[in-house]
Amino acid sequence: MKKYVKNVIPVPHLYMRENVLEKGNIPGVAGDKAEWAKNLNLPREAEYMFFGGCGYQFMRYVEGMMKAAAGMEKVGFGREAGIGISKMFGKIGIDLPSITAKVAAAGQEDTYTRILVSAVRVLRKLGLDIGYMHEDEPCCGSPLYYSGFLDDYIEHAKENVEIFKSYGIQKLIGLIPACTASLRDHYPKYVEGYNLEVYHFIEIVAQRLRKADLKPRLKERLSVAYHDPCQLSRYLEIIDAPREVLASIDGLELREPHAEQCKQWSTCCGGGGLEAGSPELSERLGKRRIEELLNTGADVIVSHCPACVMQLKRSAQKTKADVRVLDLVEILDEALQ
Amino acid sequence: MSPHNDPEADLKAMETEILNAIQTCINCRMCVRMCPTHEGWVTQSAFGRLAAINLHLKYGLGSEKELSRLLFSCANCRRCQVRCRMLSTNATPSDVIIKTRQLLARKALHKERQGA
Repeated sequence: MKKYVKNVIPVPHLYMRENVLEKGNIPGVAGDKAEWAKNLNLPREAEYMFFGGCGYQFMRYVEGMMKAAAGMEKVGFGREAGIGISKMFGKIGIDLPSITAKVAAAGQEDTYTRILVSAVRVLRKLGLDIGYMHEDEPCCGSPLYYSGFLDDYIEHAKENVEIFKSYGIQKLIGLIPACTASLRDHYPKYVEGYNLEVYHFIEIVAQRLRKADLKPRLKERLSVAYHDPCQLSRYLEIIDAPREVLASIDGLELREPHAEQCKQWSTCCGGGGLEAGSPELSERLGKRRIEELLNTGADVIVSHCPACVMQLKRSAQKTKADVRVLDLVEILDEALQ
Repeated sequence: MSPHNDPEADLKAMETEILNAIQTCINCRMCVRMCPTHEGWVTQSAFGRLAAINLHLKYGLGSEKELSRLLFSCANCRRCQVRCRMLSTNATPSDVIIKTRQLLARKALHKERQGA
């Protein structure tokens, strides 16, 4: 029935669409989205509403999915014509509980939701009045936009705005660059009377750190290469704020790749949506980017986007590079302890 | 699906918007080698993708499936878009690629609705 759509949209993107529309998140997990915030006592009403986004809240599932997909490929599922990974997505979509159970059983710590806790801790330390919508937080719908389902996206955006209105939200702080770009730059184009003030986490942090009487300090010296996420540096055009924050940390040395490979010219790491449709291309991009970052000679690679962090982590593993990949929030949180 | 008063007019308007944006491209090819997906073929760059879109929409060159494969091999990292804005004619290549994906999806959904 969907033969025409299948013809022009890669199947993994179709699954993402179903997941977003039916389950309200990218990997299609029916689960407790707000579990990470259980012990934080985040109110549902506050000056700034924290928007967690699908990225960090569900990244462990996405990572599990990707790993499983890669594993199945080795068993001989062809990737040609976009069938391989998409079939796996389908199978995984159905069989997800067992996979997540496996992840949990392996005793792996969830490194992604920890970042959300860190982010909230940092914002509170900077004196911000932070709220969270808990299980009511919707998916911003940006995968729909990039996969081509504009009508679905617009409808989804309108529904979301109603939810925001019911919460009486005026100011949002997004942590995921893609969600923040979607909420800040795309929604006003499609939803009439949209007047939310949307900020990215790092903007607010840089602004507050300037005034605050805080001295972030690392216990041991660390040299760091910063990878600009596309959505942060070119969609949101936030380039200086993360650098300002990193520079304010005592004991941290910031190393930049070549001028043609950083800031607004930062090379794409191949993560995000590309991974779903063209996994091989994405892998090559990841390897190239890791090399560029390793050339700086830094001990740690830092980025500020869940898709980039996941992709860089995997690329580092694949190239057997001796380097840690962290999110900026983790470093900042540690420095503020 | 959101109801359209005149889906075909909508599709036409979208197509015109895309073609108009491509018109501003002066084929300077500054976006070719800098595209992270570029590995030798010109279609692995914003310029090549825009040319393919133009030829497909105007002259029906290549199938929708082939065009879609080119469009979805783009990472939407907007590196080309920044360069085009700063050094060339601001043809917004990354936005054009996303809009064309949306056009293809809308066309396909429209066909399906008609067939149903």
